[in-house]
Amino acid sequence: MIEFKDVVVAYGKHVVLNRLNFKAGAHEKIAILGGSGRGKTTMLRLILGLVRPDDGKIFIDGEDITVLSEVHLRDIRQKFSIVFQEGALFDSLSVKENVAYCAREYGNYSEQAIESQVRSLLKRLDIEDTIYQMPEELSGGMQRRVAIARSLASCIPHIMLYDEPTTGLDPIAADHLCSIINELSSGPPSERPGLIIVTHRVRDAAIVAERFMYLTDRIAFDGGIDELKATKDPELRHFVNELFCG
Amino acid sequence: MARLQDLYMLGVTAPVVALKKPYYFREILEQMDYAGPGSFSITLLVALFIGMALSLQTSAELTSIGFNMYTGKIVGLSVIREIGPVAIALGFAGRVGSGMTSELASMTIEHQIDVIRVFGVSVTKKLVAPRIIGSIIMLPLLTVIGDFVAIIGGYFIAVFTFHQSGPLYWSQIKEMITLENFVTGAVKPFAFGYIIAVISCYMGLSAHGGAKGLRLATTHAVVFSIVAIIVIDFILGRVLLLIFRSA
Repeated sequence: MIEFKDVVVAYGKHVVLNRLNFKAGAHEKIAILGGSGRGKTTMLRLILGLVRPDDGKIFIDGEDITVLSEVHLRDIRQKFSIVFQEGALFDSLSVKENVAYCAREYGNYSEQAIESQVRSLLKRLDIEDTIYQMPEELSGGMQRRVAIARSLASCIPHIMLYDEPTTGLDPIAADHLCSIINELSSGPPSERPGLIIVTHRVRDAAIVAERFMYLTDRIAFDGGIDELKATKDPELRHFVNELFCG
Repeated sequence: MARLQDLYMLGVTAPVVALKKPYYFREILEQMDYAGPGSFSITLLVALFIGMALSLQTSAELTSIGFNMYTGKIVGLSVIREIGPVAIALGFAGRVGSGMTSELASMTIEHQIDVIRVFGVSVTKKLVAPRIIGSIIMLPLLTVIGDFVAIIGGYFIAVFTFHQSGPLYWSQIKEMITLENFVTGAVKPFAFGYIIAVISCYMGLSAHGGAKGLRLATTHAVVFSIVAIIVIDFILGRVLLLIFRSA
């Protein structure tokens, strides 16, 4: 469903992604690992057409999205939900208004219907009590859960994208969030929504993903958890060991 | 060059998309409230002291050569055609423009703009167009009020410090309210409001790189707005003079 062909992205003279090739199916659970500044977030933004590559092609369901206009990209984006690092909640809006953002934008729903939909999503993520609170009043873990609720309210995603969702959370909150992420993509492998999580925390990746990639400026590793643990690549070995120890 | 092209595209597309449905009336009202009533006190203060300073310098110079009866004329002409629109636009760029930039830059850096785009909402329509509309409605209103306050400030100095005739001052101000002066003073704030909002929104939406990026975006927005105001003031002044003086 997602295919990167020789994708190049550079910020000024710094080449972040260099001839990156990558394929992902619709129901896969993928973790993209890598250090800071390696282009993990850029990969997610490329999938959504939020940035265009300097070279190469990106196909979503066979359609080259690098040539699509912002208007046509809207249809592509409907296939995904995304939770950005730190949640990216609208800080001037309450939890309810954040989650109801799309419903208010597109639907002609009654206030009662909106409240009911928001409550049901928040209940699913165990944060119903926060409905009238402002984002700044919530803990980091709660903010991420509100962001997940908001992303689920916008569409029924084929693939859910997570950008370092556990950054800044304590281990208990991080584990809780990972179990929620796991649950949202649970079900038979041919039916469940897929997920792509980018993170530098191998522990979190191991909870939610089945396929692991290590990103340098291209995919330096691609395999399952056993292959990851057994890797002989010194950089990846160091990276993985260090994070397991941490 | 590419940034200039993007800025131009934003300036052209925002008014066009604003005419299409859905209409964001609430956002427009919010921006009008922020740009207008929120800037009211600073506009009054700036305008009052500009009028007083202008009257002070003019009266002092004209009194020394025996022409102090023209104070009202010079203050009125300067305030309505030039100093009022420019000074109030500069204050507007500093307060409203920098606020727009920092808000949008913060949203960009924290990926809130990305979220809006992922939801399929047009950022230009939802965030940029209401700011442009708010500015082109409120800046002319603030300018009219500011011009009036500046003229009153000038009156106080002329009458109470230089003991000039109050009725003479007002009669000369009335003489200055001609079609040419009115149009010149009224057209400029529309253009300034538009350019301040476009530059401020563009700088905010193209920000990157955390706190430093936010600082740079805000600084660039204010600096480019100030330069644009002064350049556009000259160009419009020249064009309007050609129109009225050749008619």
